[in-house]
Amino acid sequence: MTAAAVNDIEFRSVSKRYGEVLAVSGIDVAVPKGAFVALLGPSGCGKTTCLRMIGGFEQPSEGTVLIDGQPMNGVPPYRRPVNMVFQHYALFPHLDVEANVSYGLRQRRPRIERREVAKRTAQALELVRLGGFAKRRVHEMSGGQQQRVALARAIVNRPAVLLLDEPLAALDRKLRTAMQIELQSLQRELGITFLLVTHDQEEALSMSDYVCVMNAGQIVQMAPPQEVYDRPRTLFVADFVGKTNRLSGTVEAGGTTLRLGDGRALPVVAQTPGAVTAVLRPEAIRLDRGECSERMDALGGTVTHRIFLGNAVEYAVAIDGLGEMLVTADRSAARDPAEPGERVNLSFKPESLLVFPA
Amino acid sequence: MATRAGTRHRFVTAALAAPAALWMLVFLVLPFVAMLVFAFGRRAPEGGYLPGFTFEQFLNLPARAAAFGNTLMLAPAGALLCLLVAYPVAYYLAVKAAPRHRLVLVSLIVVPFWTSLLVRTYAWMYILGSRGLPNLLSTIGLPDLRMLNTPGAVLVGIVYGYLPLMIMPIYVSLEKLDRRLLDASADLGARPVSTFLGITLPLSLPGVMTGVALVTILLLGEYLIPQLLGGGKVFFIGNALVDLFLQSRNWPFGSAIAVTLVLVVVVVLTVAMRIAWRFAGTRRVDLV
Amino acid sequence: MSKLPEKPISAEALTAQFMRLKRGSVSRRHFLGVTGLGLATAVLGRTGSFSLEAHAQDLGSQMSLATWPNYHDPASFEAFTAKTGVAVEVNVFGSNEEMLAKLQAGGTGWDLFVPTNYTISTYAKLKLIDPLDLSKLPNYSAKTETARFTQEGVIDGQTYAVPKNWGTTGMAINTDKLKTPVTSWKDFFELAQTEADGRAMVHDYQLTTIGSALVSLGYKFNSVDPAELAKAEELLVKVKPHLFAINSDYQPAMRATDAWMTMCWTNDGAQLNRDMPEIAFVLGKDGGEIWSDFYAIPSSAANKAAGYALLDFLMTPENAVKEHIANGAPTTDSRVLALLPTEVTSNKIVYPDEAALTPLEFGAAVTLTDPARAEVMARFKAA
Repeated sequence: MTAAAVNDIEFRSVSKRYGEVLAVSGIDVAVPKGAFVALLGPSGCGKTTCLRMIGGFEQPSEGTVLIDGQPMNGVPPYRRPVNMVFQHYALFPHLDVEANVSYGLRQRRPRIERREVAKRTAQALELVRLGGFAKRRVHEMSGGQQQRVALARAIVNRPAVLLLDEPLAALDRKLRTAMQIELQSLQRELGITFLLVTHDQEEALSMSDYVCVMNAGQIVQMAPPQEVYDRPRTLFVADFVGKTNRLSGTVEAGGTTLRLGDGRALPVVAQTPGAVTAVLRPEAIRLDRGECSERMDALGGTVTHRIFLGNAVEYAVAIDGLGEMLVTADRSAARDPAEPGERVNLSFKPESLLVFPA
Repeated sequence: MATRAGTRHRFVTAALAAPAALWMLVFLVLPFVAMLVFAFGRRAPEGGYLPGFTFEQFLNLPARAAAFGNTLMLAPAGALLCLLVAYPVAYYLAVKAAPRHRLVLVSLIVVPFWTSLLVRTYAWMYILGSRGLPNLLSTIGLPDLRMLNTPGAVLVGIVYGYLPLMIMPIYVSLEKLDRRLLDASADLGARPVSTFLGITLPLSLPGVMTGVALVTILLLGEYLIPQLLGGGKVFFIGNALVDLFLQSRNWPFGSAIAVTLVLVVVVVLTVAMRIAWRFAGTRRVDLV
Repeated sequence: MSKLPEKPISAEALTAQFMRLKRGSVSRRHFLGVTGLGLATAVLGRTGSFSLEAHAQDLGSQMSLATWPNYHDPASFEAFTAKTGVAVEVNVFGSNEEMLAKLQAGGTGWDLFVPTNYTISTYAKLKLIDPLDLSKLPNYSAKTETARFTQEGVIDGQTYAVPKNWGTTGMAINTDKLKTPVTSWKDFFELAQTEADGRAMVHDYQLTTIGSALVSLGYKFNSVDPAELAKAEELLVKVKPHLFAINSDYQPAMRATDAWMTMCWTNDGAQLNRDMPEIAFVLGKDGGEIWSDFYAIPSSAANKAAGYALLDFLMTPENAVKEHIANGAPTTDSRVLALLPTEVTSNKIVYPDEAALTPLEFGAAVTLTDPARAEVMARFKAA
């Protein structure tokens, strides 16, 4: 292996076809060493296929997958320096926890000494905080524990890259949050590359160093979570990584005014003139109680619903002549929340308006 | 209220179990008791049964030692041979074959069952007889071979006759096998052979055991195949029983052998299953 | 039956064979040994007309016959059904022991059956058969029968059974395959271990297999002497590994040349020789069996009227002669002998010279009931 390789995983014009269906279409992407990357997209976007091509369970129809600088064409799964945490864990039901975790070590040739296997297995179990569970049968364990067995079973092999296929999908919300943190610290501790596939944008944003958003077999954007959220490259990304309010209109000559269908004009940061779709995140909107002003850039409306989210409050506001918009307000900013039926004024900073050519 | 519901529940359970229990009583328990009674009696001068209480019949059992020996050797050997042939077929059907072809392929395994085993075994007499395979082989210059009425012919017949009974349970347990486990094994560095030995085989053991037990039990009572393809020489206990009831008319001795066979089957299977499970690992295999 | 072609059997031929087997028209004891419970049965001759005779109602519409396979002309039953409207169900069996076992167990449903001479006294003693009412058999003619073959049907002056045909138990030898001449049972058992190694067959039948082994050792065919039986058992067990099969159904194996030499009954010998002239039929110089088969009516018969009707039909010389031409066994009735064509009566297999019959013995009743002979046979097979 070349120590010079900067990227643990690299896709070079990789496509995957199933008969007529193009599951992955000409992807070029690189995952830097030691990064925690989330592959995010709706189901059927090709993200799992990408993961399986790295694992070696699928072969690309075109292009090359490289792991640690080595092309992997034709290399079977058992010769790849990666390990996977499978969706639903795929633990071996006839083996106990210890035998599950040591499985990979026992496959090594030349053989690893029995004592060494036992030691490393115990370490891995310790790492996922399952020290006392070695002799348990896997079906006697809870979902979260099984998840950790699956993790231990993979990391005990010290792979260059750990692949995680929707690892938290089967867990309840609270456990999922706890595991997100655990995964993150585990990754720091091990210092190896994590590549996580998920359809849950919150999970992707909260855990990873990079989010790689996929849609229809292509990578739409790969960037740190904040950038993906704040500066989505396409309308799809904007929609997928968070809640949005959509406004259709035209950017007028000069590029600083967005003229909506009803004649309203909103200020925008310099844009190419033409028909556009603008997107406004609910939390970027400021809500003020009171009768609305008559100004053309003002968005006056009536609160139709109010949803209490615990840490925040979400309002649905019917904007006069424009339709409904979602607004999220911090609880601190909403000590004295607006009531449904109340008239309110909405406002936002021009740079919050994300504008995409229609 | 609760007790009434409980009573009704028990009544329903009993009603559901009654036909099976009656069936077992009439066709299993009573004949076995009759056999047990006969086994301690004497043969009438012209044949049949005379009441009595003697251990004479059981003391004569060594006269059929060879038949018992053959049966206890050939039944498991036949079952194992069946297993060796059946496993790859079941594996192919369950794991390798395209799902849309599976139904057709499984039907092909089952279809021969629509024809009587007698007729199918009879066909083997022609295949293995001089005009069949040996004739074909002699046309390519091989010396004149005798295949019919050999132990080999009996084994071929057994494997042919019992193969579907072995394939089906193995197929079912392999079909239930979660394919992701195989991916997981490969992912953890296991070569295909290791994956088969470490994952596929142990997880299909319930099917393997069912098949082996089923075929072994049936083979212990086999009569037709050795008679037709063994020329009456490769001798199973089943053939000995037919001789005693239908030729010698020695009901007491026949009953003694039958009772002994039942006991031997129970003991052998219990021991074999124990050993097999131990071999399969101390941990219980839970599928489903 | 023409000589079978020298090639693997075709699907059609196999089917045809099986269908004939089911009808009981081919292959002797075999299938039947195999099915054991008399599975190979079928109703023959349902194609008869409905112009029935006056007494038809009394006969019912169906009856059951227990006999040997390969032993009748199927046309006989068709003719009987056409005449009387009674369909004949034919059950075929492998040995006299098997028939006796069935009748002892009860519930056979047979209306007529075909026991061999030495068994009749036992059937009568066990009251499994009743004396025949000869007034119901107008076509039976006691005075034209050969006394030598009919005597065992008569017990204390009462006729329990009437003869079907007689025959011998000899050896069938494929002379293309075996060059050493065989003239005695001694030769037979020697050749079985040498030139005919793996190609010889003995019957699955205590009387002939043990009897012939005894004869080859210089003992009596019917011996029940423990020491002599022990010698015979020793010989049989020694020969067993060299045998092709222990099976009374030897015609298929002989025709396929799987087997080259077998114990053989007259009628099978005649059939084999007719179709394959290289198969010779030889009687043992040192002895062997002469026999006659009889018709008798079980006392448990449900439709005795039909049993008598079929028996009388088969006793009619014009009908009997067809049976003899079909199955190749010699007749006991001079009326039938007169009707047989010369190529049958001059056939030395069917009608051997009297000198050849001299050393032969009729089977003795004691062999049927002797537990030692039954057990020697069963042990030989189980060895």
